[in-house]
Amino acid sequence: MTTLSTSPVPAAPAQTAGPGAFRAGLGNIALVLLRRREVQLVVAILGLFAVCTGLHPQFGASSNIAFILADSTTIMIVAVGQTIVVLGRGIDLSVSPMLGIAAVSIGFPASMHNLNIWLALLFVLLIGIGLGMGNGFLVSVVGIPPIIATLATLTIYGGWQFIICGGMSVINIPAVYTNFGGANVLPGVPWLIVIGAGVVALAYVFLTRTVTGRSVYAVGNNADAAFRAGVPVRRVLFTTYVISGFLAGLAGLVYLCQIGSATSTSGSDGNTNLMSIAATLIGGTTLLGGRGGPVGSALGAVFLSEAAQALISFRFNEIWDPAGVGVLILIAVVADRKGAPVRQLFRQPFRQPAKAVK
Amino acid sequence: MSAIATSPAAPRRARVQTAGRQETTWVVTVAVLLVALLAYFCLAVPDFRELGASGILALCEQFLFTGLIALGEALVIFAGEIDLSTGAMSSLSGIVMATLWQHGLNIWLAVVVALVVAALGGAINGLLVTRFGIYSLLVTLGTQFIFSSVATAVGGNTPPYNFPKSFVNFAGTGTVGPVPDQLIIFAVIAVVVWLVLARTRYGRGLVLIGYNRAASRYTGVNVQRTLFSAFVACGLLAGIAGIFVSGFYNAARDDIGDSLLLPAITTVVLGGVDIFGGRGRMSGVIIATFLLGFLFQGLLIRGNSSLTATMIGGIVLVLCLILKIALDRRAGVRLRELLQRRFGSTQEAPAVPDA
Repeated sequence: MTTLSTSPVPAAPAQTAGPGAFRAGLGNIALVLLRRREVQLVVAILGLFAVCTGLHPQFGASSNIAFILADSTTIMIVAVGQTIVVLGRGIDLSVSPMLGIAAVSIGFPASMHNLNIWLALLFVLLIGIGLGMGNGFLVSVVGIPPIIATLATLTIYGGWQFIICGGMSVINIPAVYTNFGGANVLPGVPWLIVIGAGVVALAYVFLTRTVTGRSVYAVGNNADAAFRAGVPVRRVLFTTYVISGFLAGLAGLVYLCQIGSATSTSGSDGNTNLMSIAATLIGGTTLLGGRGGPVGSALGAVFLSEAAQALISFRFNEIWDPAGVGVLILIAVVADRKGAPVRQLFRQPFRQPAKAVK
Repeated sequence: MSAIATSPAAPRRARVQTAGRQETTWVVTVAVLLVALLAYFCLAVPDFRELGASGILALCEQFLFTGLIALGEALVIFAGEIDLSTGAMSSLSGIVMATLWQHGLNIWLAVVVALVVAALGGAINGLLVTRFGIYSLLVTLGTQFIFSSVATAVGGNTPPYNFPKSFVNFAGTGTVGPVPDQLIIFAVIAVVVWLVLARTRYGRGLVLIGYNRAASRYTGVNVQRTLFSAFVACGLLAGIAGIFVSGFYNAARDDIGDSLLLPAITTVVLGGVDIFGGRGRMSGVIIATFLLGFLFQGLLIRGNSSLTATMIGGIVLVLCLILKIALDRRAGVRLRELLQRRFGSTQEAPAVPDA
């Protein structure tokens, strides 16, 4: 759980224990732990689960747990890619059509020619890498701001997805895919979430144990300083977008296995873009870059999925679903703000020297 | 002695002047592109040519609401912030207007109430940004979800349609001679917004906030209040756009504004406004509204599907940005400098822009 280790302000203990003194104690350790977003999320997930199960016992059924976890997997995988981009102080608004293109371009051969699932995996990954390279090129080679570059590719890739479909939808996916999408390792633990967890673990290792991964944090914290320290800033940024595309492609296959169909609006209709950003933010990664990690985002995705189910079990009309997500984002952001210097949020793209901003 | 002391400042001033010229160059470029586009469609697409002048003017009704949102969005972007909730805000204002009218309120009163709601929504965004100090991208990402939920809840299963003829005529499809009402109203609002931004103390302060927040505070700009008002104006303009959309389609829908947000931001960027604030011209945004709108409508008339047209819009955006970066580069801004401005910190505060 050292995802936050690059954060320059691990000042939490000093605040709880008063100036200059750090008293080790059980209560203190618990307080310090509770300041970690990952821990907060685990508590929130378990707490919500306990409350819902207490009020509606069927909420705790293993089939419901399996549904929540499987439902969160697509967003989880996309959110991990989004997190890596955001850590480098970028943003990827094109994940939804990348997911959609991957889903439809293997969906058609799968339903018509019974495409082997391993070949399908290879294809989605290649497609994802290709599309991600497009984003990486625009951001790190051409130099277009990420939010604009990926806004443009959002429309371009979205149009392409539409063209690939040509007015048709993917139906009748071979049973290999849907069986895999519905299969459980243990009661309540679907195979899909195992894939999701694997992705999170790999991303964690990548970000904390490889030179490129550490460089993502460095670039996100201060690209100028990173450049002067010899980090190949452009290459690192390029890599983050390729990874995001790669994972969006993988998520396309997961989506196909779970849903069993795909259309020209797959990805966009589930609000994949915003949900992945929401999971990232709720997971404690800041849009300023350089702080956060994939574990929080994965937990954020699970929490979002669980909250949606909870709203349903409390008989809320599903039209309040988006509002729930919105409130969660605002809560997460306000909670995050408490720790960080507010002034730092003032000017997102430039980190002004502290004295200049007062 | 004094020559030595002032010499470091000289290149910076030169660069600031170049920046001003670059902005003008870009506005001219966008205008030339617009003329070229219209010429191309008139020459190459017979269906477009046969519309005639009044038909081409009438096409404006299809995209001017995007332009209204873009004007408000530009105000916020000039100040270095962003508002992602404008699309949902348009839906909400349309739905509020329609629902109140359905419940027997006079339609014009309903319009006023809807605009007040929209301004209040903008005020919520502004409050969260200025008082709580949360970055606007996050605030408006959250409120976007909330506004659209409220719109769905207020609208119910079958949102109202078939408004009174006088309203549809005014806000939707009415014309004065060959000129659509919408175009006249858009022109008035656009000129007002442009004058406020370019010719008033308030407007210059707003741009300065985006250029250098610290400097704007030192020069006496009330940063919090100015930012807050920008968000209110943005919400209000999105609300007006929502009324126009509802009038044009003669129906209110809870998702009607969702498709307007991205084109609006595209318009602002195409108009040459720096997405990080502080640079650009409002006139560029106004021209870009027509460039993007005619591009889209022309492609539809040529027989392209709407998604293909959107895709071509994206490609045009990328090409325009590459062109802009190339022009900037020729004017002396190096790519590494651009990347640094985008991704890195600069030790010295950037210079204050002229005019």
